[in-house]
Amino acid sequence: MELEKILKKVSKPGRYTGGEYGQIIKDKEKISARVAFCFPDSYEIGMSNLGMRVLYHSLNLMPDVWCERAFSPLPDMENEMRANGIPLYALETFDSVKDFDFMAITLQYELCYTNALNLIDLAGLPLRASERDESFPLVIGGGPCTYNAEPLCEFFDAFSIGEGEEALCEMVRLYIDMKKSGRYSKKEYLRELSHINGFYVPSLYEVEYGSDGAVSAYRPLYPDVPEKVVKRIIGNMDKAPYPDKFVMPYIETVHDRITEEVYRGCIRGCRFCQAGMVYRPVREKSPDTVNDQIKCLYENTGYEEASLLSLSVSDYSELSLLTEKLLSWTDEKKVNLSLPSLRADTFSKELMERISHVRQSGLTFAPEAGTPRLRDAINKNVTEEEILSACRLAFEGGKNSVKLYFMLGLPTETEQDLAGIAALAKTVVDEYYKCEKRVKGKNVQVTVSCACFIPKPFTAFQWDAQDSIESLTEKQNYVRGLITDKRIKFNYHDARASRVEAALARGDRKMSKVLIEARKLGMSFDSWDEHFSYEKWEKAFAQAGLDMGFYANRAIPADAVLPWDMIDIGVTKAFLKREYDKSRKSEPTPNCKEKCSGCGANRLGGVTKWCPKISE
Amino acid sequence: MVPENIRIKFHKKGRLIYISHLDLCRTVCPAMIRAKIPLWYTEGFNPHPKMVFAQPLPLFVESRCELLDIKITEPTPCEEIAKRLRQALTDDLYVEEVYPAKAKFQEIEYAKYTVCGDESFADVACGVFDSEHLTVEKKGKSGTVSTDILPQIKSVQRTGEKEFECVLSASASSYLNPMLFCKAIAEKAGIQDGEPDVRIIRTGWQKKDMSEFR
Repeated sequence: MELEKILKKVSKPGRYTGGEYGQIIKDKEKISARVAFCFPDSYEIGMSNLGMRVLYHSLNLMPDVWCERAFSPLPDMENEMRANGIPLYALETFDSVKDFDFMAITLQYELCYTNALNLIDLAGLPLRASERDESFPLVIGGGPCTYNAEPLCEFFDAFSIGEGEEALCEMVRLYIDMKKSGRYSKKEYLRELSHINGFYVPSLYEVEYGSDGAVSAYRPLYPDVPEKVVKRIIGNMDKAPYPDKFVMPYIETVHDRITEEVYRGCIRGCRFCQAGMVYRPVREKSPDTVNDQIKCLYENTGYEEASLLSLSVSDYSELSLLTEKLLSWTDEKKVNLSLPSLRADTFSKELMERISHVRQSGLTFAPEAGTPRLRDAINKNVTEEEILSACRLAFEGGKNSVKLYFMLGLPTETEQDLAGIAALAKTVVDEYYKCEKRVKGKNVQVTVSCACFIPKPFTAFQWDAQDSIESLTEKQNYVRGLITDKRIKFNYHDARASRVEAALARGDRKMSKVLIEARKLGMSFDSWDEHFSYEKWEKAFAQAGLDMGFYANRAIPADAVLPWDMIDIGVTKAFLKREYDKSRKSEPTPNCKEKCSGCGANRLGGVTKWCPKISE
Repeated sequence: MVPENIRIKFHKKGRLIYISHLDLCRTVCPAMIRAKIPLWYTEGFNPHPKMVFAQPLPLFVESRCELLDIKITEPTPCEEIAKRLRQALTDDLYVEEVYPAKAKFQEIEYAKYTVCGDESFADVACGVFDSEHLTVEKKGKSGTVSTDILPQIKSVQRTGEKEFECVLSASASSYLNPMLFCKAIAEKAGIQDGEPDVRIIRTGWQKKDMSEFR
């Protein structure tokens, strides 16, 4: 077989061979629909993705449906595949994705768009949905980027908006039903799919542009197609399907451990954060569910580390009860617990002690901004004292390194705020030496990591302009200049990649031309520093006749139609506008535990702990 | 109880030939936990289960005789361990037998391989002792070195039209990688770019006196 020869030539062939313990094998004879779940990044990254694990499990719960996996081959493998005429295949059967009924591509970050297109191409499908007839699989997009999927509209037949556990099953069920009753045609199917909650079929909408080139109106082409697509949510997290086993990769992946989702949504409402808005309302699993699921996964995977996942895990209302339940058996079984998303204001001594078993060298906190004023403006309600006390706890607990995450270029940011970053880092260093109970004889290491602010759809800052590359670079240099202490390490993100990300995030349908050009230039793996080429992106925009600055660096008027206005995430535009206005006055908003701010997400229902309007 | 030394004999085949030894090591540990094997953990700062492989298997080589030693803390029948491990692993890592570990891995002197290629490849391989040397170029830190690997080849025997069996050195002080051996044969046979299209299967171990090691 040709594939066998190729596998001997490429690096880490284990990425391309499947056959892992825990993969799901079914009898093709009994299958009515086959789904290729495609992750547009490497095997190592995709296999660590919880969403993929959950949806692989959910789809395969249906006896007549078989979901398999596919990932982006790395350039060496891609070249070999193309040279030898091997199309994209699924790992379970090595069957060509082209022969599947669905090609479901998860869109986790904007810089994977080029990989998504490459996957479609590698599978042997025409890129444009309009050029694919009944003989090709339906290409469906899902994941966080679909909240504004406009740049990808031309390439996908439909997008699943929101949580997919139930929606994807309904999508496949409709397909099977229509096929069996002989009613199926791609056109009819997509029309009917648009009637299912949470499905956005872009070809059923038309978009108008104003003289400035911005979207001025959009409308459904038919009266039965909904004007707004409301995102799907899982009502009761305790009853939602959750994998009882994982596919166990043979090769090392990014996260080789049990990942357990504790709750969805976030009570905080940071104004730059898209996840905090699009995953609302908050819905928690009960401590028993979490404990049972982890126990079951421990037995079925053999992983000795379990990670509690949520946007801000220390906000879980029953964290203390949960850790108690977990520690009653995890210590004995030598299972480590890790809590990757801790907030400085909820970081307690008790929590520190409970996770002290975890082998990790340092702790990470995200103040995001250097001054209380800017932290109020972005609604990151953390005080300097809270940050310092969290660091103190960490130092007393034997840690001597702390990572601090910040953002540069935030709306309303001043020079003072930038200076505040360096000052805060210095205060943390001083705090270490003030701390009596620190481990003596060691120096402290404070790492300051500065990302660039990216305005994202469905945030209070969605209307804001991103700083120019020059300005961001200047700010990076300014902060670096202020950091003179050798115990402080300064890292920053590439402003150019952030600009491309911003442009794609706020893109409209015209952007598809850019992506076509990007494909022609052979671009892929843009989220990998070594493959990202800003020059190529500039070229792709130029060839498409579009201005990257129009999408990234333009402040959008508050009354403008937004390219993503046809999507309803629950949280209302009016709320986001209120939040925008408050940010200009540096006025914080209380979190959902303290007071309901009327974001609107409770309209979607769901069993939730922190939304008073739903509890009633 | 005193930890008991247990030896697991397993196959590594199919899709597993693309998995490196290091990745295999990582794979086995969770599998032991899935199989509820009462593993003995080292008593250090960072406790981990004690596991020792007889020898790493080169990438792309199959095996029917991989050996792995573990220590267990509760008496468990060997057949029970084998049964549970089979359930916790895929067929590409088939557990053939589990038995008390007696002989030490240091006693291994040779490994036996079956090589399937084409007829002319087998012809050249079987005639390897007609020459006085079999030189290969090895790339090391200090540049390329020529080595004569003939002394590390114990025997080569035809077992079929396109197939032969060879016994190669596999001790701690002298080890010949079967891939390297096949490359040398391919070069001798004049195969372009020296990449032999062969299937190599490790089939057994031998002690210094050529008796079977198990």
